[in-house]
Amino acid sequence: MNDDSPARPSLRVRWPIYVIAALLALALGVFAFRHLPAPAPGSRDSGPLLAVSLPDVDGHPQSLAQWRGRLLVVNFWATWCAPCREEMPMFVAAQAAHGAKGLQFVGIAVDDAVKVRQFAKEIGLNYPALIGGYGAMELSKTLGNSVMALPFTIVIDPKGGVVLTQLGPVQPAQIERLVADFL
Amino acid sequence: MPKPVPVESLLRIPRRARTPVVPALALVGIALFALEIGSASAQGKLLPPEEAFRFSARALDARSVEATFAVADGYYLYRDKLRFATVPADVRLGPVELPAGKVKEDQFFGKVETYRDRVVVRLPLERAVAGQVVTVRADSQGCADVGVCCPPNTQSVTLTLPQAGAPPGPLIDATPPRKRWFN
Repeated sequence: MNDDSPARPSLRVRWPIYVIAALLALALGVFAFRHLPAPAPGSRDSGPLLAVSLPDVDGHPQSLAQWRGRLLVVNFWATWCAPCREEMPMFVAAQAAHGAKGLQFVGIAVDDAVKVRQFAKEIGLNYPALIGGYGAMELSKTLGNSVMALPFTIVIDPKGGVVLTQLGPVQPAQIERLVADFL
Repeated sequence: MPKPVPVESLLRIPRRARTPVVPALALVGIALFALEIGSASAQGKLLPPEEAFRFSARALDARSVEATFAVADGYYLYRDKLRFATVPADVRLGPVELPAGKVKEDQFFGKVETYRDRVVVRLPLERAVAGQVVTVRADSQGCADVGVCCPPNTQSVTLTLPQAGAPPGPLIDATPPRKRWFN
């Protein structure tokens, strides 16, 4: 039997401390890995996104590079995505309020043109809706949308830097903040 | 040969470890772990569609298959987006009766029905024969309560129809769940 003499504790009697310390370190590591912000892959470079060209609802190709120099909000959405549809009237209002200052929304629909046209009419869409089909889902993945869910939004500042990459609805305050910071 | 160590000596907590530090560290570890589990189920990490909506099926007899969707906590499936098909096509799928879902008011689509937790659908097979290998394909689309939607997704299960009088076949998962420790 070992003795618990505080003078010379053997390795064996110290093992609970080592085990707990190891578990704690593991828990902290996992916690940090999951909760500390990690840079999204390629998140600083707007080049690949600005190089994209997609047809609008009338079938005319539109290159995202034409909006270079503006505060560009690229929103991946679909008519089958309720949270996407819910946030769009706010985008319409922000486009109307800050468009003249240089704010530019562009929607990339993971959808077909007929449904997009119908929904655009319904909400009075005042910014371009490009038709990306399901290929747009893959495009969003290369831009950081690893789980490929919608809505997914990327904001590029007038200098071409990616300043926001967000999965899930954008809040009005975020748009106001971006306008205040970059326009 | 090292002397075998009695188990009870290993389980004894040394006096040294009986300071408040060890229980305190253990508590912090447990708290972090609980937070980890909490965040995973609430907002946490989003799942790819095949994990959020796990499809499985089993052959009940030579004329019917029971299809199941296990819907992850915090997710829901749209009833009108569920579609089933069989391969080979000559094993024709009879009329499918989908269970009633929970009615939800959608701004764009009007009244829609959604499923949570688990959906079980009986698929009648026409012109199938006992012992035949049949692939059941299921299309589905759903969203997460946190405000994102998964794109339409197709999953399939291949099963062998049991012989007459034989018990139902085993439940087969479309995608075996992957272990995701660090995601």
